[in-house]
Amino acid sequence: MTPIPVSVITGFLGSGKTTLLSRLLRDPALERTAVIINEFGAVGLDHLLVESSDEQILMLEGGCVCCTVRGDLVRTAGELLSRRAAGAVTPFERIVVETTGLADPAPILHALMTDRDVAEALRLESVIATVDAAAGAATLDAHPQSVKQAALADRIVITKTDLADPAANGLAERLQALNPGAPKLTALHGAVDARRLFDGRARYDPAIYEAPAHHHAGINTFCLRRDKPLHAVTLSLFLQVLAEHCGARLLRLKGLVDVVESPGRPAVIHGVQHVFHPPAWLEAWPDDERSTRMVVISQGLDAGWMQDLLEVLDDEVKACSIS
Amino acid sequence: MSSHSIDRAIEGALAGALEVWSVEGSVSRERDGFALRVAAGMKIRVVRAAPSGWMLFRGTRLLGEAAGLPGLLRQLREELAPHAARGRLIVGSPLP
Repeated sequence: MTPIPVSVITGFLGSGKTTLLSRLLRDPALERTAVIINEFGAVGLDHLLVESSDEQILMLEGGCVCCTVRGDLVRTAGELLSRRAAGAVTPFERIVVETTGLADPAPILHALMTDRDVAEALRLESVIATVDAAAGAATLDAHPQSVKQAALADRIVITKTDLADPAANGLAERLQALNPGAPKLTALHGAVDARRLFDGRARYDPAIYEAPAHHHAGINTFCLRRDKPLHAVTLSLFLQVLAEHCGARLLRLKGLVDVVESPGRPAVIHGVQHVFHPPAWLEAWPDDERSTRMVVISQGLDAGWMQDLLEVLDDEVKACSIS
Repeated sequence: MSSHSIDRAIEGALAGALEVWSVEGSVSRERDGFALRVAAGMKIRVVRAAPSGWMLFRGTRLLGEAAGLPGLLRQLREELAPHAARGRLIVGSPLP
């Protein structure tokens, strides 16, 4: 069975997630979409605002999906799949999860990437973060969770552009510096091109590695570069060291890696904190540059330290392979 | 890489690790390896082992041995920052 793509829509309170979702579900391209909505609070309302058939929407109530109902998310996704298999619901071809505005997306992504049952049937396709053009900058200043939501996203949708110009007020530039790898789209009343939101090929675009170093509000973004190819074992050890010592401070790492054992076929690596997808191997370099590039979004990790780790690990691996 | 530049990288890797663990201290090069000086005058020496790997000493007491940088960092964290968060690499589902 081909795994069903799952996308996660995150974004701070009032940033327009539900409006975006509601609009997307009216798009014929997303006709066969099941929705899981996580509502926070005693009375759920968001699902009433989403225009779609009830059978396609499942609710997660009673807590925030990132802390208390992560198991429920996995269970609900499993239920959806069972209903689909039994023909009890329209045979959906995609699932969209809308988180609460307070959710940390990382545990949700981890659940979708690693839960054994779910990971076989579902495939995490993309993380979409909504940021309000008018209040977005102030929200980023005041709520670290909103910074994390934008930092972890594969796409950022700037909403409410009728109220403020994100280019003029500096929000667009700030989001670009925070998460250079995520295409930025704008949406007025939730209207956005669904194909651009759910295009998985963007992960392989080499332009995402053009990241100038940036530091703001405790989050820093930088790009590691290396001209010499790395041994495959070095890459594995490097990721292990980062996972072991950096914990949640490593928010996101995306890389295009020149591997000694795979000349001409670079590896694409993507990770959220300590959880990584297996490397995907490209048939050829996607651009003229033939060197390793890794974009790191972190809470205060040092680019020089990571570069030193790479050099020392590769030197040790090389010494072992020679001797 | 020259031995000088690899020594500089090892020094940087150790100093950066102290920072990641929120341990105040410094790293310096010594004739046979490196020395980490942390709070309350504690000094840990990281000495090259033959033919490869590392030995850790506090004073003359051998704290442990490591085949490479990952093991060395793990032992140093246990000595210097036992309460620092420790994670484990998890490999999940393939990229879409």
